[in-house]
Amino acid sequence: MTTVNNAEAGPHIFDITHGVERTRLSNGLTVLTKEIHAKPVVSSIIWYRVGSRNEEPGQTGKSHFLEHMLFKGTDRFAKGEIDLITLQNGGANNAFTDTDFTAYYFNFASDRWQVALEIEANRMVNNTFAPDEYESEKQVVEEELRIGLDGPWEALDQAVWAAAYRQHPYHNPVIGWLEDLERATREEMEAYYHQWYHPRNATLVIVGDIRAGETLGRVQELFGPIPSGPEPKPMPIREQPQRGERRVTVRKQTEVERLQIGFHTPEVTHPDAYVAQMLDTILGTGKTSRLYRRLEEHDQSVTHFSVDYHDRIDPTLFTIRAEIKPDHGLAEVERAVEEELDRLRQSPVSDEELRRARQLIKARFVLGNEQASNQAITLGYYETINRYEYLSDFFTKIDEVTAAEVQRVARHYLVTDNRTVGWLVDEN
Amino acid sequence: MELNIERIELPNGLVVLLSENHALPAVSINAVVKTGERYVTDDKAGLGSLAGELLDEGTATRTAQQIAGEIESVGGALQTAAGYATTGVSVTALASDLSLGLELTADLLRHPTFPEDRIALEVSRKLAEIRAKQDEPRVVASEAFNEIIFAGTPQHRPLIGYEETVAKITRASLLDYYRRFFVPNNTIIAIAGDFSSAVAEKVRQLFGDWPRDPQFEPPAVPRPQRQREPVARFISKDKEQVNIYLGHTGIERANPDYYAIRVMDVILGDSPGFTSRIPRILRDEQGLAYTTYCHLARSAGLDPGRFVAFIGTAPENLERAVSGLREQIASMTAAPPTAEEVEAAKAYLTGSFVFEFETNAQMAAFMVSAEIHQLGFDYPGRFLSEISRVTAEDVWRAAQQYTDPDNLTLVVVGPTDQRGEVGSQKSEG
Repeated sequence: MTTVNNAEAGPHIFDITHGVERTRLSNGLTVLTKEIHAKPVVSSIIWYRVGSRNEEPGQTGKSHFLEHMLFKGTDRFAKGEIDLITLQNGGANNAFTDTDFTAYYFNFASDRWQVALEIEANRMVNNTFAPDEYESEKQVVEEELRIGLDGPWEALDQAVWAAAYRQHPYHNPVIGWLEDLERATREEMEAYYHQWYHPRNATLVIVGDIRAGETLGRVQELFGPIPSGPEPKPMPIREQPQRGERRVTVRKQTEVERLQIGFHTPEVTHPDAYVAQMLDTILGTGKTSRLYRRLEEHDQSVTHFSVDYHDRIDPTLFTIRAEIKPDHGLAEVERAVEEELDRLRQSPVSDEELRRARQLIKARFVLGNEQASNQAITLGYYETINRYEYLSDFFTKIDEVTAAEVQRVARHYLVTDNRTVGWLVDEN
Repeated sequence: MELNIERIELPNGLVVLLSENHALPAVSINAVVKTGERYVTDDKAGLGSLAGELLDEGTATRTAQQIAGEIESVGGALQTAAGYATTGVSVTALASDLSLGLELTADLLRHPTFPEDRIALEVSRKLAEIRAKQDEPRVVASEAFNEIIFAGTPQHRPLIGYEETVAKITRASLLDYYRRFFVPNNTIIAIAGDFSSAVAEKVRQLFGDWPRDPQFEPPAVPRPQRQREPVARFISKDKEQVNIYLGHTGIERANPDYYAIRVMDVILGDSPGFTSRIPRILRDEQGLAYTTYCHLARSAGLDPGRFVAFIGTAPENLERAVSGLREQIASMTAAPPTAEEVEAAKAYLTGSFVFEFETNAQMAAFMVSAEIHQLGFDYPGRFLSEISRVTAEDVWRAAQQYTDPDNLTLVVVGPTDQRGEVGSQKSEG
């Protein structure tokens, strides 16, 4: 086991990577630990680098369904026991699946948190997949999928990603297509579990009121004996550049029309990712942002809007969404967004806008990572899709972004030929 | 567990609550005026919400854009909001920007002007939001449920109001409402985080000359009637799922049985994961739903909240889901819970209490709530001992006293007809 300490890297109190230690067990498990003694709580999260991104055609939704099955019984913890242990210890647990990862968390008071390690070490390789549990949980997942089908934003979001990606698995919703889910078998799921759930494909993050040395000893005891598992299979598909606008319309019973535009943008490791973060803020964060002033103040054409650069392992989408007021129209709002993007392409942003965007990104980052559990999520997320050191460079890189770069990136990515426009309209 | 909280009451009646914590160079301000839709009459529904939203839309010396510009230029976040019984301003910012946060808070609470153009903007946004709600079957079901169980009280209305009432709100009525309720002797300011003792002086300087209203009295609010017969309402919507609410009115926060009811909730339907009866049986064993729960204490406030069970399921499961919920609700009154259930629930409530005080914003919100409900700042210790004292008999007695399985209100939204028949035809809009 080798440990690298980041205590010297960032003395700044705003740097959440300060004090993080990365340890790699000989079986390949990555462990990040960080001591925070301000509150008597510990957050532990295990991240597997597998999500809908790794699903083959016809097999969508498997990563997410598998996440559900990890609460349904192992050779040591019967169904319901993980929740019962969490309850009796006054903790919280849950799990989340996305395109690039699946993560399981426990938050406990610091005098009793280590039970989380026993559970995660056990269910990394010993899940049982009882046939009747599989069938009953399949119904639960189908109900979850139906909630999504009933939501207007979920429907539009699915349509836009599906149109923007033709080959790459970002085409598929994380929850999967209903038909794939119905067809899925228990045997396929078990094989998928053994393919992806092993130390070499996992990062364990432990943040809070711990002693790192002692904690790592216990991690070694529990996880050390687990075989490292196969080399994770690379996901070779690269989406080809989009050459020309794509448009989709979703019809649904609704009184309120909705717009979502997605632009292909680079992956998290690309140098332009930082610039995309700045563009996201300049366009969409706060009441001084450009789209707020244009859409909500000047045109008064939308009730809400949002801008999101989704940082991911592979090239991703930069999305703009808006909920249209009844006496305004989709075409009008789409045109206004385009005019604002054109303004960004035509002339550099002001120094004041740059300064404000930097300050917003930094302060929101600090304020958003107040809890041990927030930090465990942020660290684990970036370690899984990139490396957590991305975060220690983050503020410096954000400071280095210039108006000229913002303009260049807007000109390069936020253009008509590179966009997918989705309209949600009433079915009648 | 002890909290360091300082309480200061200014001569004008303003209550200031301070809790220092230097873990992070950040602060949270939570300034609350004890008003909301609770004091608004039916014909003006939405007035309280609108007034809250408009606090940062212009003051005597600042425009909406100036307010946003000042707080955003330092990366802080400022929100105004109005709930049922509280309205106010919350700020989260870096510690170095506390003074700015307090200055803005004082300005917004003391000198809002409710400019006509901003009223028009906010009203049009609210009207659109009222329509957008129709796309959320769970919201439609929840509102229909409130309308029935809280009939005759302000809680029967959605906080946002109705199209016809919101459209008619005038600047004059906003100003009347503001003048009546926004007085220092009806206001609490809580500050948590990384600050020094100088902050108390700053608060005095900003709020000390806000004149007390010696006449101020909060109006009386009608109490909901306990229902004496079952009620059912079906609303047709073309959706994949049926959303089901089942329950009746609940308890006030001041109810002495609050702690026994917290334990009951964890046993019946409000636990982490799927340990409590309703999620364990309806979701984990029967696979009927992704989301299902039940609770009584969670919405306890100045007025009685609601005893409510929820499940969202495929239309063909409607009957099984409703009878499953009914059966579990009835199980709590039929017999006392097992000793294991009670012990596990108590261990959960006491063991997880520490998570309610993790952030500055949580701490500020706790201080406000402790002040409003007169919990006392020794509350953490008392909470733990009150929970520890709860017995299976207490839970059983509370279930019998505060839940009535034979007289529940049922609301179903989804592809059913108005008698609850599923699947025959598509529905109205």
